[in-house]
Order: sequence, then structure tokens, then C-alpha cells
Amino acid sequence: MGRYDFRPLRVRQTAKALFDAKRVPHLPQWYAVVGDIPPGETLARPVQRAPRPRGTKKASRIFQPLPIQYPEDKLRSDFFGDHPWELARPRLIVENSGNDSRGQDWSKIVQPGKQLDGESVVQRQMWLMRHQAMSKPAAYDLARREFYQHRHLEDIRRRVAKEEALHVGAYFGKGPLAIGMELEDRSWEKWKIWAAKQVEQEQNMRAQMFTGPQDNDGDELTEPELDAAVEEVQGSVPDSKAGQLAMGGAAVHP
Amino acid sequence: MIIRSLAARTCRALPRGSSLQPLRRFLSTDIDSIESSADNSFKQLGSLEAQLNAQVPQQVPSASSETQASSPAAQTSESVAEQYHLYKQQQQQLGHLGTEISQHYQPHTLLNNPPSAADVTLELLLASEAHQGHATSLWNPANARYIHGIRQGVHIISLEVTAAHLRRAAKVVQEVSKQGGMVLFVGTRDGQDRAVVRAAELARGYHLFERWIPGSITNGQQILGKCRMKVVNEKDEEIVGFEEQLDERSVLRPDLVVCLNPPENYVLLHECALNNIPTIGVIDTNADPTWVTYPIPANDDSIRCIQVIAGVLGRAGELGQKQRFDAAAKGVITYRPAKDLTMPEQDTSKDKAPKAKVDLSRTFMKDGGLEDADELEGKLDEANNREGSGRRIKVVA
Repeated sequence: MGRYDFRPLRVRQTAKALFDAKRVPHLPQWYAVVGDIPPGETLARPVQRAPRPRGTKKASRIFQPLPIQYPEDKLRSDFFGDHPWELARPRLIVENSGNDSRGQDWSKIVQPGKQLDGESVVQRQMWLMRHQAMSKPAAYDLARREFYQHRHLEDIRRRVAKEEALHVGAYFGKGPLAIGMELEDRSWEKWKIWAAKQVEQEQNMRAQMFTGPQDNDGDELTEPELDAAVEEVQGSVPDSKAGQLAMGGAAVHP
Repeated sequence: MIIRSLAARTCRALPRGSSLQPLRRFLSTDIDSIESSADNSFKQLGSLEAQLNAQVPQQVPSASSETQASSPAAQTSESVAEQYHLYKQQQQQLGHLGTEISQHYQPHTLLNNPPSAADVTLELLLASEAHQGHATSLWNPANARYIHGIRQGVHIISLEVTAAHLRRAAKVVQEVSKQGGMVLFVGTRDGQDRAVVRAAELARGYHLFERWIPGSITNGQQILGKCRMKVVNEKDEEIVGFEEQLDERSVLRPDLVVCLNPPENYVLLHECALNNIPTIGVIDTNADPTWVTYPIPANDDSIRCIQVIAGVLGRAGELGQKQRFDAAAKGVITYRPAKDLTMPEQDTSKDKAPKAKVDLSRTFMKDGGLEDADELEGKLDEANNREGSGRRIKVVA
């Protein structure tokens, strides 16, 4: 609990002590090996920062590792800030030998064996700034334009390849848009069936609500009753300047 | 270029008579008119037809009659030779065309042909992502001296330190193997099994990739008591006849434990510490380096890194075993023979007995099935379940 266990580091001393105390009949086979190749010192902290002069605030971060920074970092953040969707492209990050960047020549933006991506722009910009003494924005513009040009060429290449393939009989199936449209159509049809059912249910429920004993007098009138009512209303409508003609309104708008 | 390389690749498979014609057409700089090319293709069709027609009646009698079996064989061999010569000629003419595939990472090579300690370079470690630590908030400050810096919120392990510690650990494995010690390779994380098994295979050691049964060292008599133990001579040949003597012997323990994922195997490392067994461990930035005797600061989450480390240690063990066998061939025994064993009196092995008595060296946890990449724990369970059967199995690693 909060204590360090140094037994693994002291196997040799322990073995010797056990042997000296005659707890074990002989030293272990690895005794000489561990003596010849001793384990390194542990729990040692190298000082990473210069300590502050005395009297000031406590130097609390002396032993913490320092951040690693490269001049490309700013360029990289600028580029990806301007082109955030470049980060969404799939990227190959497996190194072959660990020396993959050794053979790259950034006097051109296209490198054999490396895909063209934002990193190419950054490295090309660095090269232009270093070797051609270009300012940062000028180098950025140049590298960026080359990048756009090659992306455009890639698009053309892809399109032509597709056309060629289609010409010689390839077929690619449905595209993502067609598949999406199909799914949408299917859901739409499903929804239509569901909605029709809902409407029917609603109507049934409404019909059920009004079933039961109810008098038809209020709703429908027999013909003599209607005539009587119309006559009764017609008389009551004032045919004067203030009023208006009923025009059979009582019958038409009951 | 695509067409050219296609021609270069398929030229072997083209029929003999008209093999060069399509190639010439592909490679010719002057362009035939459409009519002539159509004519050409018609001619090819005609020649193919003629070939087919010519071959069919020849082959039918040869297949039916057994007496003429020699002549078709001669024909085929001749045609094979001709085809081969044609292929070589074409290869000479066209082989330099097309693209060349440069050296690239092939994941299986780390298992098939693992690097030795001399092959460890910082580039190799970098490519296998040995430098990637954990997020800075997860660090164990005891690892401060192995850390190179912070990059995007992640601790970067110093690869020089990794290489130095890896070489040191490899030396330890080599020396222990040379002295006939038992080396146990443990990696219980997903994907580490093949690397662990391969390392154990190279070092003639033992492997564990499923789970350490707690108490296998501290309570070994109960857990491993039914496993088989055998006596071998300095050439690792088994000497029979010691079964009764081995029954009373205590269970064997490893002389060195290599753990590829210490955070998940605290129990194992603690048992090793209690029993005074040196350990080697891959220490990521979140692991505690005091759990192991020889830490190797590296990324234990990368399978490629684990394969490199396990391969290096396995190669070191292989070298140590080779040195041991070389010494044995000269009659030098590099280890202390096992005590308390008397040579069994047997009529059949009377001639071998004195020699074996001299050579009788050590007991060794070894079982035939285990060398075929069987794992320890399955065997253990099997042995535990076989309590009722008459066969006694003493110790297996």
C-alpha cells in the first residue's frame, strides 16, 4: 500500500542471503548471470527543467517530461485548419522500415510510395521556405496550388479509369446515392402503409365513440319536418334594410 | 505500362505457336489499322482452331492405348522444356519491364524470421511503434527516465533506452538459456499468442498465452502436481526409468519469466518476486517498473512491437541453447546437474547406464505435446481433470 516492492530488483541479494543462511542448498543457476548483467537503477527521475531560483514559487514541474515540438507543427495546424475535411480521408500510417521519409525529395510535391495528402503540402512548404527562401504565405500558396492541381488530376484519372472499365464491360453496382434512395423509398412505402392503418384506426375509434343510443332527430330531418323548419326560419329572417335575404339559407346551411 | 507488364506476366501461359504474336502487337510502336487487327484476330482464331483440331485426334489414341505411353510422355517433356526455354528467353527480353516492388513491411516476417538482438535498430523500433506511450494523465512517474517527451498529449518513450534495455534483456535470456534454465514466456493479451509461442519455440522454453493460474508457483504442488516431469541428458534426450524418484520431487519452477503485459499479470510477477525468480517485462508508461527485474520500456499495446521484442528474446534464447548444445557436443556441461537422483538399475539400458549417470543433468519440465504449440493451461486443466486415471503426470510447463 503505497510502498514500493523492490524484491524483483533484489533477486540476487536475496538468493545470496538465502544461501548464506543455509535456507537453500545452492545458489540458483542465474546467480552469476544476474551478477554480470545487473538490473538498471529504478525510480530515478532526470531533471527536465532548470529549477527556479530560490525564494520564488515552488518548482513543481522539474521532473515532468517536456513537450516535443517541430517547426512543421504550426504549418500543419494552419493547413488542416483551412482544409478540415482532409482529416477525414483515410490515411496509411504503417511504416515500412522506419526510414520511409529518408528517400523523399520535396522539390516535388508527389513522392513515390507516399500518398498525396496534407502532410505533402506541409513538407513541400517547409522545403520551399528552406531551400528557396520563400515567405511562409507564398510557400503555402504555391504548395497548396500544386496540391489542388494534383488532386484534380487524381480525379480525372479516376474518372477515366472508370470510363475505361465500363467500356470494357465492368459494372460497379449501385452507388451510395442509389442505395440511399432505395432505402428511403422502402421506408416511405412502409410509412404509407402504417399511416393508412393509423387513419383507419382513428376513423374506427371515432365511429365507435358515436355509436350507442343516439337520436337521429338532431341530425336528419324527415321531409315534412324540414319543410316546416325552413318555413319557420324563413319567416324569422328579416327582409329589411339592416338584414339580408335568407335565400333558402336555413335549408342550405343548417 | 499496364499492358506491357500484363504481357510480360502472361507470356508463360500463352500457347506455343502464337505466343510471340500478341506480344509483338502489344509492343509494336506503329499502330495497325482496325481492319488489319481484326484480320489478325481472325487468323489467330483460325490457328487456334487448327491447333485444337490437330491435337484432339492425336491425344485420343494415346489416352486409350497403354502401349504408347512412352511417346506422349516424351512429347510433353519436350514441350515443357521448350516452354521453359521460351519463358527464359522472354524473361530475359521483357523481365526488366514493368514496375519493381520495393521493400515493404510484411507482417508475417516478424514471426517467421524474427530479428536478433544485433538487428535491433531505432528505425525498427520506431516502425513497430515502440515509442508510443499512454496519455500523459495515465503515466507512472517511475517511468520518467524512459520518457523522451510529450507529443499531442501522449508520452513518447525514448527509443535509445528501449534498445539498450532490450539488448540487456536479450543477453539475460541468452545466458540463462545457456545455463539450461527454464524460460517462461507469458503474453496473455489478445494477439500476443503467436509471438509468445514462437519465442518459446525458438528458445526451447515454455509459453503461456491464456491465463496465469494464481498459485502455480506458490502453490505449485497442488496445481501442477499431476503434470509429467522427465529427466533428460545434456542433449535434451529423455532418460527413462526415473518415474518413481520423480514422484516425490517438488514441482519445478521457471528460472526466468518474460512477461509481455505486466499490468495484467501482477499475480504472476508477485509470485515470482516471492519466490526469488528474475523477471523481464515490457513496461509501458502506465506500468510499474518495480514489478519486474529487467524492464523493457516499450509500447505493449502494439502487436508489432510485441512481436519484435518477443522475437529478439526468442532469438537470444535460441543462441543460448545453441551454445549449450555446442558445449555438450564437446563434453562440457554448462549447468549444475540435478541432485538426489540415482541411476535406475535396468537390464536393457546396461550399456547406457554409466554414461547417463555422468550426463544425468537436470530435471526438465517438458512434455512432447507442448512443443507442438499446445498451451500450458489446457494441459493443466486436462491433468487436473484426469485425477482418477492411473497415469501420473508430474510437471508440465
